[in-house]
Amino acid sequence: MKKSQLFITFLFSGILSSFAQNDSLNVPKKTSYKMTVEPGIGISPMPIMDMTLSNIVQVRITKRLSVISYTSIKENNLFLRTFNYIKSTNNYTLTQKLGAGPSFYRKRSIHTLSLLAGIKYDTYHETLNNPKFEKVDVTIKSWSPDVGMMYNIKLGKNKYYFSYRMYIPLFPYPIKTMDITGIDGNLANVSLEIGLGIRLK
Amino acid sequence: MIMIPLALFLLLATSCQKKITAPQSVQQFTIQSTVNFGSYLIKVALPEDYNGNKKYSTVYLLDGEDNFNFVASQCKKLSDKYAKENVLVVSIGYGHNRTLDYTPTNAAEGQGGAPAFMEFISKELIPRIESDFSVDTNRSSRVIIGHSFGGLFAAYAWTKHHSVFGNYLMLSPSLWYDNEIILQYEQENRASINNNNQLIFLGIGQLENVGRMQAPFQAFYNQIDRNYSGIKLLKNSVSQMDHVGSKNPNIMKGLEFYFQNK
Repeated sequence: MKKSQLFITFLFSGILSSFAQNDSLNVPKKTSYKMTVEPGIGISPMPIMDMTLSNIVQVRITKRLSVISYTSIKENNLFLRTFNYIKSTNNYTLTQKLGAGPSFYRKRSIHTLSLLAGIKYDTYHETLNNPKFEKVDVTIKSWSPDVGMMYNIKLGKNKYYFSYRMYIPLFPYPIKTMDITGIDGNLANVSLEIGLGIRLK
Repeated sequence: MIMIPLALFLLLATSCQKKITAPQSVQQFTIQSTVNFGSYLIKVALPEDYNGNKKYSTVYLLDGEDNFNFVASQCKKLSDKYAKENVLVVSIGYGHNRTLDYTPTNAAEGQGGAPAFMEFISKELIPRIESDFSVDTNRSSRVIIGHSFGGLFAAYAWTKHHSVFGNYLMLSPSLWYDNEIILQYEQENRASINNNNQLIFLGIGQLENVGRMQAPFQAFYNQIDRNYSGIKLLKNSVSQMDHVGSKNPNIMKGLEFYFQNK
């Protein structure tokens, strides 16, 4: 087993065990669900200038296990689009991830930890338009894997409830590179989101 | 409780990092500058087979406290790979804040201490290295490596003081600084820069999407590519990596370019 696989396994099992200690054995009827959707809004804390719109669809397939689809669009560098004659446009990130993970039930909340994998598409356009120099346009388009862990809490026992989730990427560190400087790329894609959850079934 | 996963991730990530150590013997000393009054910790990695009868090339490394071991180990690997003589790696520590020493002008993001820092390098550091160690004193045997503001300083050294170094590894240089002042310096000094031979490596990360890195980088590359016929020039963009994550891949690529052309 590669070092990166060991790392992910250890990370996942460590987090699960921290939740399992307080978990009740039965699924309370009032907080049970079959399928939910959770549109939300969020930020990337590093830097805090990105804003995310996302949606989660979660389907419980067994008493404990859910499958999850996560879709998002992140508008990057939202509040500083012109700087020193450099204009930045179309600066956004799209992601689509699928995954699965166990759910833990409390009286008024449901905690789900999931391992997600999918693709991420980044694009942006920069124009340098300083009158002293030749105008230069650059467009970047990048596809990359998006693997990470998501913690999701549903608070409330009615059809509509409060949803909070945090996504921690495992790319590029340790999947693409074991070089610790790569973790900067992970941190740039950490996402903290809140949203409205709706029980469909 | 909701912060547990993030805390665990950071803890495990830092505990899993590879420890990189310089393979060579290292000497260190401090220089108290009489130019800018900074106190600089200097570390020098010597080749394993360092011999006082040979003349070695020197790699001067900015932000040396962060990058020294990695650069020294890469130089060793590449000198073996290309069967070329290894180099002395000279790590320059911080005598002042890097926003002072590495920035060419006084602007919102820096205080413009680069002219004095350059004078420290050329009049105090390099003479000390060249008197204490067996190194080649030709400009073409000196390399400077800098990342971010360090890359900005390397670009400043090239455009304003090109007689000091012959090889420049500019990694994610902050060319946006002070309304792209470096591009202006290059235009102003193009004729005299062209009198010298040089090797330039320009590296960046594909995901440096903060709205200021890519366009000045491309503009700088275009200006060099179009106006310096004899230059050894390479541009590299590290896919799927950002500003910090692209640093080490670009160090490896830039050093490889240098050793190939050494």
